[in-house]
Amino acid sequence: MTTSASQPELKWNRYDAVAALIVALLAVAAALWFYLPKVNSGGLTVVISVDGQQTERVRLDRFTQATVSNGGYTLRVASDGEGVWIASSDCPGQDCVHTGRIRRGGQSIVCLPAQVVVYLEGAASPDAPDVIVG
Amino acid sequence: MKKRLICLALALVLALPLMGCGAPKTETLDIFAMDTYMSLAAIGDGGAEVLQACSARINALEQKLSRTIEDSDVSRLNAEGSARLSEDTAALLRAALDYSEATGGAFDVTVAPLVSLWGITTDAPRVPSQAEIDALLPQVGFRHVHLDGDTAALDEGCAIDLGGIGKGYASDKTAELFSESGLSGGFVSLGGNVYVHGVTAEGNLWNVAIQDPRNTGNYACTLRLTDAFVVTSGGYQRNFTAPDGTVYQHIIDPATGYPVDRGLLSVSIVTRRKNGGTGAMADAYSTALYVMGETAAVDFWRQQGSFDMVLVTEDGRVLYTPGLSDCFNQTEGSGYDYQCLAA
Repeated sequence: MTTSASQPELKWNRYDAVAALIVALLAVAAALWFYLPKVNSGGLTVVISVDGQQTERVRLDRFTQATVSNGGYTLRVASDGEGVWIASSDCPGQDCVHTGRIRRGGQSIVCLPAQVVVYLEGAASPDAPDVIVG
Repeated sequence: MKKRLICLALALVLALPLMGCGAPKTETLDIFAMDTYMSLAAIGDGGAEVLQACSARINALEQKLSRTIEDSDVSRLNAEGSARLSEDTAALLRAALDYSEATGGAFDVTVAPLVSLWGITTDAPRVPSQAEIDALLPQVGFRHVHLDGDTAALDEGCAIDLGGIGKGYASDKTAELFSESGLSGGFVSLGGNVYVHGVTAEGNLWNVAIQDPRNTGNYACTLRLTDAFVVTSGGYQRNFTAPDGTVYQHIIDPATGYPVDRGLLSVSIVTRRKNGGTGAMADAYSTALYVMGETAAVDFWRQQGSFDMVLVTEDGRVLYTPGLSDCFNQTEGSGYDYQCLAA
């Protein structure tokens, strides 16, 4: 290929290389932003809802404990920073207490008599379940 | 240099529309109904309206199907021995009787008196005497229910409870609303009854996890599904420990009057809408096959062929049907021995 002397602006130089590199980096960044799974960089969040309404949202690593009362029942939610569980409840059946410790995004503890739900929000990995049956 | 800056600015402008192409909006709704916790999600325009319609439909169904709401169809039928039913209740009772017939009575809506006798889901569970069980067994059996059009009648002393199939029917009705809406995806999780529609916000098939009965903080397996119902029944979900240390779970065998103990920890049934599968079918069969035990459950699946299933056995096996092979994922480190059943 020959370069015409009348078109010197088309000659490749280091500024072109810098511009091309910036455009390429932008393209890669945009593609990664668009295609990579959206992972909650802040980790898991403890969400407590009462009667279907959220009453508390706290990052798991900052959550220590909470006391929730509704429908005449009182639950004490405890945490060790890596999971949460119902430490005590005066509800009949104690199903919420028996659920034990949850530590993965999507898992929940339900107390039907008190209509309280404690769940962990935030997918831990791209393969994390969308919905759990059991 | 100026031209280069202009080119760079143009490249940025071109990239901006791509960055605006985020995932479609997801709406969620949590409700308590039908004596359970329900979680719903809808993806796409109008999702909130669809979820509100689902909630209204579920609450309306509860008013008809509940055994504890005084003027429900079921309560009127149980109290008066005969009743004219709403369209929903009649349709569901017809389906329930068909599934009872198909499963040889392993699924039975007349088992309610025995469930009440054991009281396993109440504040005061107990082990009844054999005499008490024997006294109720004659009143249990789906042939005690007579349905003619929208009018039902019960034999003397009998009662029905549609709790073992009502949530499955509710998932059918929400599935209809999802399909009519044009939503790109969504799911409903109605206390052990799941329906997944379309695809996730990221455009993937839904990743449905089946809880590990031995460790409820883990999963026995996961399934990649769309437009499918998944229902799990298992004794681990509700049980009580008697004073002598014996653990009794909540699913009663209609034939014996005792909690089921046939070597299964859980049964999960998968049905697909495109094959005519329903949530009500999955709900009824999950209970029935748990009652049957492994051998009879596998025989039933081979005869029917209208559904897929995952059985978790007490001796540490996870059995799944070949129809799930392309969407089944083992859980590494679960300790289970995974086996695909022969067709």
